[in-house]
Parts: sequence; structure tokens; C-alpha cells
Amino acid sequence: MPAPPTDSFVNIAVWTGAIALGVTLLLACQIVLLRVELRRHQRREAQAVARWRPLLNAAIVGEQPPLPALQSHERIHFMRLWVHLQGSLRGDARLALNAMARALGVDELARRMLARAPRDERLLAALVLGHLADRAAWDRLLPLAQAPDSALSLTALWALVRVDPQAAANYLTPLFIERDDWALSHVAGILQQAAVPTAAVLGRILPTLPEERLPRALRIAEALRVPLPGPVLAGALQSGAIAVVIAGLRSVMTPETIAEVRGLLQHPDWQVRVQAARALGRIGSREDAPRLTALLGDPQWWVRYRAAQALRELPALSRADMQAVRASLTDRFALDMLDQVLAEQESA
Amino acid sequence: MNFHHLLVEFITWFVFCYFLALNVGYLALNGFALRALRRKGQEMFMAELPRAYSGLEPPVSILVPAYNEEASIAAAIRSMLQLSYAEFEIIVVNDGSTDNTLEVLRREFALLPFPEAYRRQIATQEVRQVYRSTRYPNVRVIDKVNGGKADSLNAGINVSRYPLFCGVDADSILQRDSLSKVTEPFLRDPTVVAAGGTVRVANGCQVSGGFLTKVGLPRNMLALFQVVEYLRAFLFGRLGWSAMNGMLIISGAFGVFRKDAVVLAGGYRTNTIGEDMELVVRMHRLLRARRQPYRIEFVPDPVCWTEAPEDLRTLRNQRIRWQRGLAESLTANWGLMFSRRGGVPGWIAFPFMLLFEWLGPLVELGGYAFMIFAFFTGLISWQAFGAFLFVAIGLGILLSASGLLLEEMSFHIYPRGKQLLALGAIVILENFGYRQVNALWRLVGMWRWATQRESSWGAMQRRGTVKDADGAPPPN
Repeated sequence: MPAPPTDSFVNIAVWTGAIALGVTLLLACQIVLLRVELRRHQRREAQAVARWRPLLNAAIVGEQPPLPALQSHERIHFMRLWVHLQGSLRGDARLALNAMARALGVDELARRMLARAPRDERLLAALVLGHLADRAAWDRLLPLAQAPDSALSLTALWALVRVDPQAAANYLTPLFIERDDWALSHVAGILQQAAVPTAAVLGRILPTLPEERLPRALRIAEALRVPLPGPVLAGALQSGAIAVVIAGLRSVMTPETIAEVRGLLQHPDWQVRVQAARALGRIGSREDAPRLTALLGDPQWWVRYRAAQALRELPALSRADMQAVRASLTDRFALDMLDQVLAEQESA
Repeated sequence: MNFHHLLVEFITWFVFCYFLALNVGYLALNGFALRALRRKGQEMFMAELPRAYSGLEPPVSILVPAYNEEASIAAAIRSMLQLSYAEFEIIVVNDGSTDNTLEVLRREFALLPFPEAYRRQIATQEVRQVYRSTRYPNVRVIDKVNGGKADSLNAGINVSRYPLFCGVDADSILQRDSLSKVTEPFLRDPTVVAAGGTVRVANGCQVSGGFLTKVGLPRNMLALFQVVEYLRAFLFGRLGWSAMNGMLIISGAFGVFRKDAVVLAGGYRTNTIGEDMELVVRMHRLLRARRQPYRIEFVPDPVCWTEAPEDLRTLRNQRIRWQRGLAESLTANWGLMFSRRGGVPGWIAFPFMLLFEWLGPLVELGGYAFMIFAFFTGLISWQAFGAFLFVAIGLGILLSASGLLLEEMSFHIYPRGKQLLALGAIVILENFGYRQVNALWRLVGMWRWATQRESSWGAMQRRGTVKDADGAPPPN
């Protein structure tokens, strides 16, 4: 009596199962092919490394061994090995590797790759050209630096900074401020090598920046330890935008703006008070102790903590002075916080 | 055609369509994961280059809840101290252990009581004392009254100093670069509130000094099945959802969170087994309701290795707990489903989880049971029964094979041909019994959830199958 399910069910189910089976077989073939390709790639890489590593090592220690021609199937492996070594070397050893790469025509090859290779090879090419500080690649790196692809554009930017820090700073600093998709830590890492020219550019453009761009620009300045022009910093500290005030406070390194900083200790936003306390710890004097002591009773934990740390950091405030401050406290939270920070100091 | 025939016809089609929809859904996720992994693969060589820190990386507080971990806690903390990252602190939370966990920590890390004026942002069980290591300035220990893993994490959040925290199981084996990998999304995008990484099965691998030194496959069949399961779950499950910002779970074994977002959400819920998933679902719900732009991301790199159960009892208990945790996480956050501002998590991920993960075991097992019953009672022909099995098992194999393909395309961490063959065999074999038994355990989990039994720390029978390179098995 088994009437249902109908033939159509069986047909559809069988076809679905057959398609699943077929696709599975295709996937299995793909997995095997990938593994075969991986093996081939690893074999070639091992061969390339075995052939070129001794030559690269010789170049690093100052020898000039005769160089064989770089085979086309060795190029990518050689470039990766070369980039890897560059990352852990300094001084003459790097220059020797650069000379070797130029002798082998790697610079020309990398420039060609930059124009039309797949994405991973373009990333590699940008790294090679950066290490080589290849001026001829400047015009090809520039458009790449503006690409929407974050990894590619940041690598191109890094290369441009290596090629010409001054020109790169002029051209790229506004871009760094503009592109929110570039991680600030990466940007700071790249700009470390062009800190001086970037500082000059930042000093020039900061007064012209719209308020929404200022926090990022100030964070870059802070990361590069760029001393900001007094009027720029004072302007930031007087801004109506909390983010700008906070970024400004983080950049305060000299007592030039101490009056503004002191004024911000009572700011209604607790994050501003935190940064003001920290800034005062850096630039304050003995006479700021009562101001910071008052902050020990702040309702916000971070304000109390930073105020206690700032007190500890004030110059000419002895241990006896700190004990006197402690003895004067009546607020339990303030007392606990000061005890913690004093204990931290002792265990450091 | 009478009513019975119509009913049989309807159920048969329903079960078939359910299996089809489930597998098509996962294959669609696979497509998203494929795209993300391809891009990742192109940048992989750059991750191998020497890395310099700029000092702007956000510092991370690593929270390690510990309950009766006297044998392994010191080694675990020592290996965490070797993580390569710009700035981090380790906060061990001794959750009222009844063994010598605290004594071991005191002795090994030269702990001294510290007058910590910490903030009680989230309510927890009483904290008895905070200690600070005199040997490692970035290690602190909280000794508190027992309150469970979630309560321990909350206490750790209260005491932590840094804007990001990373919840880690004391028995997890971390990659040395795990923190820098998982914090990468936070650097790239300031709206990221949480990020998780891939957890892999450590059974059969070699460990030295707390770090994985050689990848291997376990000999135990149950552990082997779980290797393939983890590939499926992490490589295309979570990565696929992450691409759509719809990831509803970050593994409790290793996940990084923005502290202010978690505090805003109220911290971990202490009355649930699946505190890791519940927190993520709640964060989706609350952040969407607040219209706050945010992202929860998944990093496909293998960052954490964990020992998988090798005996049926422990595995069964684990799966029951997981299913209960899933049920609790979803039911505690119904408000996310089809909410006006629910987006992908509310309109796609939540219903998908509900339909295919929460109700999955019921429909799957019910489907199998019905088809077997119908076949033996003559309600359906052998052709229809065979066709059903063919499609159910065929689609299951396809899904697992696609997980293996993603692994081969990206990390290929199992280098030997024999390992690939073994995984290929498991992809097929797991569909003949293992998946069905799993569905049964999950059904039990649903039942336990429905009967609302107490939650507690999940004790696991550890076999020490992760080989220590020095020859000794890891402490149990």
C-alpha cells in the first residue's frame, strides 16, 4: 500500500543527493589539487631557499659572491626570503641586500608586479620597493596608496615613506588623518620613520583642520611625540568638542598650557578630568597638589586613580608630603585609592 | 488519497525541505567564509614578517577563571606570560577553589595582598582579597567566594585596568601571537566591541612550555570527529556570520571584548551555562536597540587549542551543556528576533540559530525516526526511504567536505597526506552515527533546559592526550 511519498519526492530527493554527491566529489578533487599544488610550491620554495639563502647570507656578512640568474619560478620565493631578512637587519647588511636585489633585477620586477600582479604579489612588491627605497616606483606606489583596500594602501604608504620621508609626509599626512580605516597604531608605526617632516606638516595643517578631524590628527602627533605649537594646543583645550579636548590633553607635554589644564580639572565630562589629571602629573608643580588631592574624591574611579598617580608623579613631592596628604583625607574612597597607588609605587 | 497518506506526504516533504534548507544555509555561509579566507590568505605572508609595536595597541587584561586548577594553573599562567603583545596584564580569578589553587599561585608567583581600590561595576560574589605578584608586575590574583565561571569573569572585569579584556580558559593552549591576531580588528575599526578566534582540537598535538609545537591528529575516533566538527563550526560557521556582522557566539575559551561595552550590557549572566554566547547575543540586542554602530568580528587564524573529550560520557555532557547554553542564550534575548533594528543578527542569524541549531535536533531526529517508522510500517516505499537517507547523508558529507576545503585553502595545518586522508575519511564516517548521536545528546540538552536544572562549572574528564614534548602528559 505504500502510495506516498510520490515519485516526484523520490526524484527530487535522488537528484538533490546526486548533486550533493557530485559537488562533494568536485570539492574532494579541489582539495587534492590544492594539496598537490601546496607540495609543489613548498618544494620549489625549499629549492629556492637552498640556492639563495647562502648567497644572501654571504652578502649580509659583506662578501660579494658571483650571482646566478634569478629563475622565473624562483622570483616570488626569493623576494619573500629577501623581505623576511630585511625585516630583521640594520645598517650595512640591509644595503648589501639591496645591492644584491638590484643586481638581480628585482627592483624592475617588483615595479612590474606592482602594476599588474595578483593582490598578494602586489603586497610583496610594495614591501620590496619600500626596503629598496626605490625612487623609480614612486609614481606607481602613489595611486596604490589611495586604494580602498586597507592592507594594500597601508603597505604602499609604508613604501613611500621609505622612499622619500619628506615628500611622503607632505603628501600623505592629510591622507593619514582622513582615512579612518587605517589603524592608528599602523599609521604611527609607518610615520615613525618620517617623524620630523610629519611634525612640520602637522604643525602647518592642524590650525586648518575641521574639528571632527582634529582628534585623529592630535593622536598621531601624540604617537610621534610631536610638540604641538602653543596656540594650536591652547585652541584644542578650549574647544567645545570633548574628543578634541581629550586629544589635546593627551598631547600636553610642556607647562605652556598649564592654566588651561588646571581649568579642565573641574570639567563636567569625567574623561576630560582623567586626562587633565594625567596631564597635570606630567607638567604640574608642587602647588598643584591640593588640586589633585581634591580629585581623589571624584565619583569616577579612573579620575581618582589618575589623580593619585599624578600626585605621585609631581616633582618635589616627597614621601612625607604624600603621607601628609594621606593623613588629611577623610573620604574613604580617596584614602583607598591613595593607598593603592602608594602600594603600586612600593612594589614597582 | 486519504488523510494518512496526505500526512505522510506532508511530513516527508517537510523533513526533506528542512534538511535542504539547513544545508543550503550553511553552504551560503561557506560562500561568505570562502571570500574572507581568500583575502586573508593573500596577506598571510605579511603576518610572518618581524613585527614592531607602535605603542598605540590597546592594552589587554587577560582574565583566567580558575576553579580547582592546582595542577595546571601555574604552567598555564607562565605560558600566558610569554604571549607576544605590547602590553597586557593577567588576572587569575580563584573562584573559591576547594583544592590548593590559591596556595600554588601564592607560591609560584610570590603573591602578596594588595590594597586594590577596584570598581564594582558588576555585582559579584564577595572578593576576599586581591593579590599582586612580586615577581611579575602584570599578574594579579583575585580570591573570591565561589560563584561560577561567569561570576569570576565579572570579578575579573571589575578589577581589570585595560580597555580590552580577554576571557581565557585556564586549560586553553594559546598561540604566542594570539593576542595580536585577535586585537587586530579593534585596531582597524573603533566600532569593534568583540572579537573571537578559531579554537582547534589539541588532542594528538605536541606541547612544550605551554605552547603548541607540533600539530597532529588524535588516534581516538571521537576526538577525530571533533576535529572536523571544529573546522565546520569555526571556519565557515563563525567566519560566514562574521562577514555579515551576524556572529552570535564567541568561544569562552578565547575571546576579546571591549570592556565598556560589556559593562554597559551588564557583564556576564551568572545563571546560565552558555554565558559566552548569551553575552554576545545580548550585546547585539542592546547595541542594536541603542542604534550604536558596532561590529563583532571573527579572526579565522588558529589562536587557541583545547583538549576535546575522548570518552562518550564527557562528550555527551559537553554537548548537553552546549545545547542548554544555546537555548538559554536565545530565550533570554527574544527581543532581538525580528526587532525593528535587528539587522542581520535579528533577522537572519537569530532565526537561523533558532530554526537549525535550537530546533535542529528535534526535527533531525524526529525526521529520522519518522522515516524509519514509516518505512517499517509500509507508509513509504523503500525508494523514498533510500532517497531520504541519500540526501540527508549526502548533504552532511558535502558540508563537512566544504569545511575541509576551507582549511586546505587557508591554513592547511595538517601537513601530511595521511592526515588529509584521515580527515577525508572522517568527513564521510561522521555521518553514519556520530552526527545522529550528537543530535540525540542535543535533544537531551533541550530537555534539561526545559526542566531548568542548575548550572555549574563544567567538569571535564581530561585524558592528557595532548603530548608534552618533554615526554610527560599535561597535568590533569
